[in-house]
Amino acid sequence: MTLRRAVVIIVILGCWEAARRFNLVGPLLLASPSEIVLALIGSWSDYLGALRFTVSEIALAVVIAWMFGIGTGVLAGMIPFFGATAGPLLSSLFAIPLITWYPLFMVWFGIGIKSKIAYAVVSGFFPIAINTMIGVRGLDPRYMLFGRAIGCSRPQMVLRILIPMAMPTIVSGLRIGTALIVIGVIVAEMLASLGGLGYLISYYRSIYETAHVYLGILLALGCALVANWCLSRIERRVTRWRELQIAER
Amino acid sequence: MTSARPLVIEARRLEKVYGVGRAPIVALQDISFVVQEGSFVCLVGPSGCGKSTLLQILAGLVPSTSGEILIEGAVMRKPAPDKISVMFQDATLLPWKRVIENIEFPLEIRGRKAAERRERAAAMLSLVGLAEFGERYPHELSGGMRQRVSIARALAPDPRILLMDEPFGALDEQTRIKMGHELLRIWSQTGKTIFFITHSLTEALFLSDVVLVMSHRPGRIVGVIDSGLPRPRTYDIIGSAEFGAARNRIWQLISLDDDEVAGEGMVSL
Amino acid sequence: MKPRVLVAQMSFVLLLIGAWEFGDRVGAFDRTMLPPPSEVAGALRTLLQSSEFLADASNTIVRVMAAFAIGAPIALAIGFMMGENIDLGRSLSPVFNLVLSVPQSIFLPIFVLLFGLGFTEKLIFGITHVFFVVAVNAMAAARGVPHGQIELARSFGANKLRIYRSIYLPAMAPQIVTGLRLGLIFDIIGILLAEMYASRDGLGVLLLRWGESYDVDKLMAATVLISLATILINEIMRILESRVGRWQQAAEPR
Repeated sequence: MTLRRAVVIIVILGCWEAARRFNLVGPLLLASPSEIVLALIGSWSDYLGALRFTVSEIALAVVIAWMFGIGTGVLAGMIPFFGATAGPLLSSLFAIPLITWYPLFMVWFGIGIKSKIAYAVVSGFFPIAINTMIGVRGLDPRYMLFGRAIGCSRPQMVLRILIPMAMPTIVSGLRIGTALIVIGVIVAEMLASLGGLGYLISYYRSIYETAHVYLGILLALGCALVANWCLSRIERRVTRWRELQIAER
Repeated sequence: MTSARPLVIEARRLEKVYGVGRAPIVALQDISFVVQEGSFVCLVGPSGCGKSTLLQILAGLVPSTSGEILIEGAVMRKPAPDKISVMFQDATLLPWKRVIENIEFPLEIRGRKAAERRERAAAMLSLVGLAEFGERYPHELSGGMRQRVSIARALAPDPRILLMDEPFGALDEQTRIKMGHELLRIWSQTGKTIFFITHSLTEALFLSDVVLVMSHRPGRIVGVIDSGLPRPRTYDIIGSAEFGAARNRIWQLISLDDDEVAGEGMVSL
Repeated sequence: MKPRVLVAQMSFVLLLIGAWEFGDRVGAFDRTMLPPPSEVAGALRTLLQSSEFLADASNTIVRVMAAFAIGAPIALAIGFMMGENIDLGRSLSPVFNLVLSVPQSIFLPIFVLLFGLGFTEKLIFGITHVFFVVAVNAMAAARGVPHGQIELARSFGANKLRIYRSIYLPAMAPQIVTGLRLGLIFDIIGILLAEMYASRDGLGVLLLRWGESYDVDKLMAATVLISLATILINEIMRILESRVGRWQQAAEPR
């Protein structure tokens, strides 16, 4: 966070605030930073509750999607026939606008948590599975040979050698998938929900409370950024050896 | 010259055929040999003759089509990591683990306790002369050092037998010679049985007691040369008359077998 | 693709559909929640003959195409400039990449707030979906042009047009097509979402309406139709990508 960056941000915030204060932009279109902060202070318990709701949905969806995604990807990477069959299918299905399946999920799972988690899990599943499969497939077969030679059991091979080696690729899939999950949950809440951050955003939009809408979206972005930051920390730890290895050459 | 020591490896009429039906490829044909405990045996042959296949069969990684292998008197069907350690041309060190953790890895797989593992790994690290490098990562080491770590890792489970598939093949010549000396030192200190594959006649004779000479595909044993050279050895032995004679004998065995143009399979002197 | 694999994929899909139909017939599935393929197919046929549905569908398609037709050329131009002009690229690309790192769907409420519920709002929303991904890819494509070849061609006296056609185009084409493919996919996602969220007509509204009224067979029919259509579009553009990729290989220096 260099001084220059900080100055730029302060200037932008200043202009933003000024634009509203001097009524350069109407109250409906833009909310100034001070208005947003006031909105937060005014209803912070509502937002806290909504965040708790949303974050729990996200967490659950993340756990399920990661498990299924990595599991499927590992299988597809290890078993050539399964991979050759499932791989193209996964890639093709990834193109579908999953939001169009949300009404169907609503019918099947109701308007509550389950439909959002189902939708988010499916959203996150594809990039995770695809990337994991690519990571596992690209593995140097000599490591597999080595694993067998020292007497690794199948689970040991997968957990101790395969997945760590494929980690860089897997984690990049996790990043994409998790971003899709976070936004997926919130967007689903915006469309039809009983609670959560997306629900609040939609509600405030419908009564033209601009400051709250901006606040909500900023919080949503915050969630996405936090998730991304966590994952990039993990990514850095896990792939340190890879970067150094490449730098070596 | 060799006294009657127990046989740790016995190969009986091994055959390996690939590709059923259309055009089967005979990789190995009627391979039989024995290896005495504590000896250093080299296998030489042109590339593509099936040396690696044979090693993988010895390691239990690949089944033979017919014939059998006995390791310490027992028939070998799958990997026996307690008795045999394998080393390949590529060190295959796990890049995300430190050097010391890499050496521990086979022990970790076998479920040994942490303190025990660490102690054993440290001992092996000292044995190969890399005691100060335990906390480094593989990518920080040179090729020769990585192979030494690989040797340490292979020795960690204390196997009776070491199988090595051209472990120094990727190294430059000076490093190869140094590593050869290192390996001989480690061998004399630990008393293991070593089965070493190479395509260099010089390396084979320099390192071993017995050289098995293999033909090009389909691979057969065309000769067993007992070099009769004294130990301990240093590299200048390659200038001696006995060395030259032994090398010529091997070369003749290979040339005799060489009815085709040696386009593939090149053996280096 | 190996025939064995193709057969496996087809039989998997057929097996799935067969099990679905069977499950419904036998009563294992709730028919009101999961109507059998036969009913869904029937509903699909009805829909495709209904003028209202076709009207809504064409509205959606028009929006998608309009957003693409406006967004893509601008994005290509800007992306190309960003690639050619290092300073421009260095200042703008972090912003573009930041935008791409978060799915843009989240900004929908702001769009509605700013632009209302009409055609414009959806169009602009769609355009933003197309714009960034196409621009970033165009920039990467421009950066990837082998400048050595350009110098060589200039020294032989080739004029600008020649250079653009024979060096720039083949080198840039595959990456640009990739960008366009992704842009179109994001465009479709954006427009459908906007329709679901705030619209009076279009496929998105129909889906939401049918979902709320439990009109499951129509819902399934439309959902499957949209899914298949998008998959088809994606695959066609993938084929285009590989065709164009072959150009690039052919144009590579010998």
